[in-house]
Amino acid sequence: MTILTRLEQWKEQGKISPEQYAHLAGLSRGEPFSLFIELNVLLYAGVLAFVAGLGWTVSTWSQQIGDVVVLTTLSTILAACSWYCFSRAPAWSPAETPAPSPIFDYVLYLGSLVWLIELAYIENRFHLLSGRLDPYLLVTAGLFFFLAYRFDNRFVLSLGLSSLAGWFGLTISRWSAHQDEAYRQYALLYCLLVGVCGTLLERRGLKPHFFGTYLNLVANVLFWAVLSGVFARQDYGPWFFALLIACGASLAWGLTRRQFAFVAYAAVYGYVGVSSLFLRGVSENAAILSYFVVTGVAMLVVLVQIGRRFGRLE
Amino acid sequence: MRIYSASSEETLRARKLLTDWAGEGFLTKEQYQLLEQETVSDLRTTNFFLRLVLFFFTLISVGAAVGLFFVVFLSRPSDQTTGVFFLIFAAVCYAAAEAAVSQARLYRYGIEEALAVCSVGFICAGLQTALFRGGPYSPKPHAAEFLVPAAGAIFSLWIWRRFGRSYAFIAAMIFVIFLPGYWTSSHSAQHLIVAMFYATGLVVVAVLRSRHRFDYLDEVYSLVEAFLWLGIYLAINLKLSSLDLPTRGWIGTRADSEFSGWFYWGTWVLIWCLPPIVLARGIRLKDRFVIAVGAIVAILTFVSNKPYLGWVRHTWDPMLLGILLTGVAIFIRRWLARGPGGIRHGFTSERLSGKDKHWMSVGSTVFGLLSPHPITPSPQPSSPDHRFGGGHSGGGGASGDF
Repeated sequence: MTILTRLEQWKEQGKISPEQYAHLAGLSRGEPFSLFIELNVLLYAGVLAFVAGLGWTVSTWSQQIGDVVVLTTLSTILAACSWYCFSRAPAWSPAETPAPSPIFDYVLYLGSLVWLIELAYIENRFHLLSGRLDPYLLVTAGLFFFLAYRFDNRFVLSLGLSSLAGWFGLTISRWSAHQDEAYRQYALLYCLLVGVCGTLLERRGLKPHFFGTYLNLVANVLFWAVLSGVFARQDYGPWFFALLIACGASLAWGLTRRQFAFVAYAAVYGYVGVSSLFLRGVSENAAILSYFVVTGVAMLVVLVQIGRRFGRLE
Repeated sequence: MRIYSASSEETLRARKLLTDWAGEGFLTKEQYQLLEQETVSDLRTTNFFLRLVLFFFTLISVGAAVGLFFVVFLSRPSDQTTGVFFLIFAAVCYAAAEAAVSQARLYRYGIEEALAVCSVGFICAGLQTALFRGGPYSPKPHAAEFLVPAAGAIFSLWIWRRFGRSYAFIAAMIFVIFLPGYWTSSHSAQHLIVAMFYATGLVVVAVLRSRHRFDYLDEVYSLVEAFLWLGIYLAINLKLSSLDLPTRGWIGTRADSEFSGWFYWGTWVLIWCLPPIVLARGIRLKDRFVIAVGAIVAILTFVSNKPYLGWVRHTWDPMLLGILLTGVAIFIRRWLARGPGGIRHGFTSERLSGKDKHWMSVGSTVFGLLSPHPITPSPQPSSPDHRFGGGHSGGGGASGDF
C-alpha cells in the first residue's frame, strides 16, 4: 500500500482532515517541490569558489596590483558584508533565531572568510607581529564566536572553533607530524576549554542548539588525543585508563541522550585503543586474526543488543 | 526479486514520512500516535550510526575469519586452491546475508550489508586467483580477465536488486570502467564503451522507473538514474576521466593527441549538451538527485571548458564561477518567491521538511570546520618577495614563514 493510498484511507476513516489529506498527499507527490537544500548548497559553493579565487588572485597578483588596491578591495567586501549583516539582523535572542534573509548566513560566511584573507595578507606583507600568527588566531576566534552568537550562525561557529584549535596548535598538518606529549596536552586543554564553555553556555540558555557542535568536536579531539597517548611507546597506562573513562562517558551520554554518534565513537575509538594495547608485541598471525574474530563478533553482539534496546530507526 | 516485501518497505517509508510530518506540525501528536500504530513493520531497523559501526565490525570479523582460515588450515596453498576457497567464502557470506534478512529480518542494519559486500569482494578475488595468475595489475593482463570485473559488475547489480543498496550499483558502475581496457587499446573506444554501458542502463532504469511513480522504488531508481547520468558525463568528459585504470590509476588526463579530432570535439559538444538535458529531466520529474547531478555536471563543464579549448586558466576564474553560482541561486530563489504563495510551476524555495533543517545544521557545521583557513595555510609557491601564506599555527608558538 503506497503512502497515497494510506492517506486516502486515513481520510476516509476520519483520522486526518480533508485539508491535511490534500496537503500531505501534495507533499508526497512533490507538490510543491522544495529547492531549499539545492539553493543553499549552490550559495555555499558560490561563496567558497569566490573566496578561493579571491585568495588565489591576491596571492598571485598582489605584487602587480599593489597593496592599496588589494587592501581596499578586501576591506570594501568586508565592510559591505558587515553592513549587510548588522543592518539586517533581528534583535538578539538567546534562543535559535532564523536568518532574516535566505542569503544572510552566506554573506556572513563570506565576510568571515574575507577577514581571514585580509589578516593573512596584512601580516605577510607588513609583518606587524613579526610573523607570530597566534594572536591573530586568538582574536579571530573571539570575533567569530561573537558573530556566531550574535547572528546564530553555525558556519562561523565552526570557523571560530577551528581558529581556536589553530591557536592551541591543533592544525591537522602539524598534528600528524608531531604526535608528542605537548600536543596531547594542548588538545586536552582545548577540549576542556571548549567543553566547559559549551556546557556553561548551554546551561545558561545561550544558543543551546550549538551544544551538539561543541560536544561532537570535543569528543573527536579528545579521543584522538587519548588514542595517540595509548599508541605511545612509553607511559601509555594513564592514557589507556583515560580512554576507558572517555569511552564509558561517551557511551553513557549516547545511550541516555539517544545520540548514537557517541555510542559509535565509544565503540570505534575504544576498540582501536584496546586492540592496540592487546596486540602490542604479538606477532603471530593466527593470534592476531583470532583476536579480531573473537572481539569483532563480541562487539557485534554487544552493539546488536544496544541496537535492540535503544537504537531504533531515527 | 527483492528480498524485502513491497508492503514492508512501504510501511517503513510511511513511518518515516509520518515522523517528518509530525515534526513539522502537519499532524497533531494524537494523530501521529494513532497513525504510527498502523505503520509497524516486521523489519528490524537501527540507527544510522549503529548501522555504520555494525558494518565496520562485520567487515573486521569476516575478514579476520577468512584470514584465520587460510593461516590455520592452508599453509602455502596453490592459487587455484586459494581461489576456490574465496569463492566458497563468497557463497557463505551471501548465504549469511540472505539468512540475516530472511531469519532475523534485518533492514539496513549494517550486518547483512557488510556480508553482501564481502561476497562481492570474495567473488572477484576468487575468480582472479583461481583463473588468472599474476594478479590484476600485471603488465600484460590476460584477455579473458575481463571476466573478473564482469562478474563483479553482475553480482553487484544482483546485490542492488536483491537488497536495494544503492552503493552496490555504484560498485557495478566502477567494475564496468575496468571492462573495455581488456577489449580494446583505443582510448576513444574505451570511453565510448563505458558511456554506452551506462546509457543502456539509463534507458532500462527510465523504463522501469515509469511504473513506480510515488512508491518506495521511485527513490531507489531516482538515485540510480542520477549515478548513471553522472557516469555518462564523466565517461565523455576527456578532461576529467581516464578509463584504462588497470595501467594508469583511477583519475588522470591524457594528452589530447591520443584522441582523434572528431572524437575530442564531439565530447566537447556533448559535455555542453548533457547538463541542460539532465537538468530538464530532473526538473520535469521533480527528482532531487537528478537535479543535483545536473547542477554538478554543469559546474564541471564550466571548470573543464578552458582545458578543453586549450585556453589559459586565470586566478580569478573561481571568483567568476562563484559569482555565477551565487547569482543563479539568488535569481531562482527570488523568482520562485515572487510566485503566488511562493510557488511557481510546482517549485518553491521554502523549506518543507524537518529533514532539510537537520541536514542544513549538520552540513553548515561540517563545512564550516572544513573551510579554508588562510591564516594557517601550507606553504604556497609564489615569488620570492611575495610569499603570501606559509604561516603555521601553534599553541602559543605560532610562527609565519615569509
